[in-house]
Amino acid sequence: MEIISGNTSVKPTIKYAGKGAEFAIIYFKNIILTILTLGLYYPWAKVEILKYHYQSTALDGARFTFHATGMEVFKGFIKIYLMFIVLYGLLFYALQTQNQTLMFSSIGLFYLFIFLIVPFAIHGAVRYRSSRSSWKGIHFKYLGVRQEFFWLYLKGILLTVITLGIYGAWFQVDIRKYIFSHLRFGDVSFDFKGDGGELFWINLKFILLVYITLGIYSFWYYKNLWKFYTDNTVITQNGKKVNFKFNMQAGDVFELLVINFLLILFTLGLATPWVAVRTMKFFFRFLEIDGELDTNAIQQAKYDDYDDAAGDDLLDFFDFDLL
Amino acid sequence: MLFNAHFFDGKSSRTHEATVKVNALNWQISYNDEHHTPIVISWNPQKIQKSDVYTKGLISFTYGDTFPFQKIESEDPSFINYINNSDQKNLNNRIDVRLHKSKYKSLVFLLIGILGIGILSYFYVIPTVATGFASTLSQKNVIDFGDYVFRVLSTDLEIDEEASERLQNFVDAMDISSEFPLKLYVATSDEMNAFALSGGKIVVFSTLLEKIETDAQLAALIGHEVSHINNRHVLKNLARNFGGAIFVSVLFGDINGATAVLMDNAHLFTQLSFSRSLEKEADVFGLDIMKKNNVDLHGMPQLFEILKKESSFDVPTYLSNHPMLEDRITYTTKIADEQGSNNGNDLLQDKWNQLEVLIKE
Repeated sequence: MEIISGNTSVKPTIKYAGKGAEFAIIYFKNIILTILTLGLYYPWAKVEILKYHYQSTALDGARFTFHATGMEVFKGFIKIYLMFIVLYGLLFYALQTQNQTLMFSSIGLFYLFIFLIVPFAIHGAVRYRSSRSSWKGIHFKYLGVRQEFFWLYLKGILLTVITLGIYGAWFQVDIRKYIFSHLRFGDVSFDFKGDGGELFWINLKFILLVYITLGIYSFWYYKNLWKFYTDNTVITQNGKKVNFKFNMQAGDVFELLVINFLLILFTLGLATPWVAVRTMKFFFRFLEIDGELDTNAIQQAKYDDYDDAAGDDLLDFFDFDLL
Repeated sequence: MLFNAHFFDGKSSRTHEATVKVNALNWQISYNDEHHTPIVISWNPQKIQKSDVYTKGLISFTYGDTFPFQKIESEDPSFINYINNSDQKNLNNRIDVRLHKSKYKSLVFLLIGILGIGILSYFYVIPTVATGFASTLSQKNVIDFGDYVFRVLSTDLEIDEEASERLQNFVDAMDISSEFPLKLYVATSDEMNAFALSGGKIVVFSTLLEKIETDAQLAALIGHEVSHINNRHVLKNLARNFGGAIFVSVLFGDINGATAVLMDNAHLFTQLSFSRSLEKEADVFGLDIMKKNNVDLHGMPQLFEILKKESSFDVPTYLSNHPMLEDRITYTTKIADEQGSNNGNDLLQDKWNQLEVLIKE
């Protein structure tokens, strides 16, 4: 029976096995349930959709699993709603007094709060998603420290503002570096070796070229951006480093985006689930682990049973997805 | 029954080729570990956790109360078939299995469902809830809302105090039963217009007043605007507009810009048609008020003639929030012709004269 023995270090394959029609059934079923329950079902819908994408993604033939539950996500949403109710309550109270100083300071505080909560939301979201993700029974785990991340974020935002956005590229890279270097998969660790300067150059080229090429340069821009993010992601197993590689060309980006756009446009949005599956398939087709990884030798580490989905839900509120 | 599966022990990522012997009381998982030692593990079927999502050709289960959890994954068609037909609730979801059995039939069924719910909500649920909300809002809230809107608008209005007072006298002399205290304003403006705010405020622009020739025409204008106030038209319109807009943006906003724009415009068209129906309602109620005050109902079509002469072009009905003036003249004339004789209203005539002198001097 035992066919996998000895050194199993080979280039692992990544594949997305989802099917458009199958996902569409899940997607439309959840839309109906969400509308009928006036939105209350949304957390369960979100979880099932993520579970589908996880279970359709195969690394070396084994599927990923998303362990979140609708109830956890629902509780998170309750927290977020309570926060917004209090926040808006205070804001409206201040506005109806017609007192200028009170009005402006409350609007200021409102935005300051929204702005300062973002790093906490990102931290919570990454930790929750990691805790609830597994492959071959091995769980992911995020070891980042909330305060550390908050100061990193605050420093980055301030420098970005002071430098009129120029520092933004380095800021983004710093955030990614922090998150990846604190991410674990059993005894496997991750890192991000990208450089802010490289990202800045990618963005600058975009700004310089996109208008004179009437937008056509965007395809190269996305290719460069996605390549930057994936090619610089490093996996470390037993001290051995392995890189991701993203083999997409600008023509592929064109095919992905233009056909997605046309599909959505001519079906008035009905093609959304097919487009989602198409996009996932597309990304995983070009994604490759460039090196040897012993996918049979990963050891489980301590479990981080983090069930607070509030951060994840808040990012959802801001229409921002970690994937 | 014996099935093939991959077993993961939760300690390492090693894939164990296993066989699963399944019966109602026990799942027996057998495999060889890395030292080729045969291992047999037993799962209590009641405690098995399904993955809670349907993917064709693959089933996966986790097991265990405490970390690390054990897991099996299987692509064995006979195992999948067994699970899909199982009566045990923690192993499958019957609804999902059925939905995925005949994919395209299910898709058509779900899409019809979405379309049905969408149509029902947009054309029935939202209007009913919105109009219900507008009708049940307390009098004080309606007045407060009107006052708020007036405060915002009034910064751009040049109010003619003297004319306002005389117009107020005219309206006070009319026999009108209104839920709200009526407050009249004349604003200096080149625009040929008048509007009513929730809670009893009516603003008439000076240019329109200058063109009005008789007390009956003014009574027609007032009757129309008062009907808007009494029927809470502004609120109903707003509530429906708002409800519909939220519905459209929630349903289509997330999908893409083009569809959202398309749907927004469709919503605008239905909204305009609703506004037109409100205008017609206000015309009819306005005629009632005129009748009660014993003035010549022909004042209404005459008023529309004045508006028609002054507006350089008439927009097609479907693009306008008011019914085309030609239509309004036709249907109000028809009602006016049925009035028979009337003696006029001397008091209103007198108040009108006082206002007219001031306006046309």
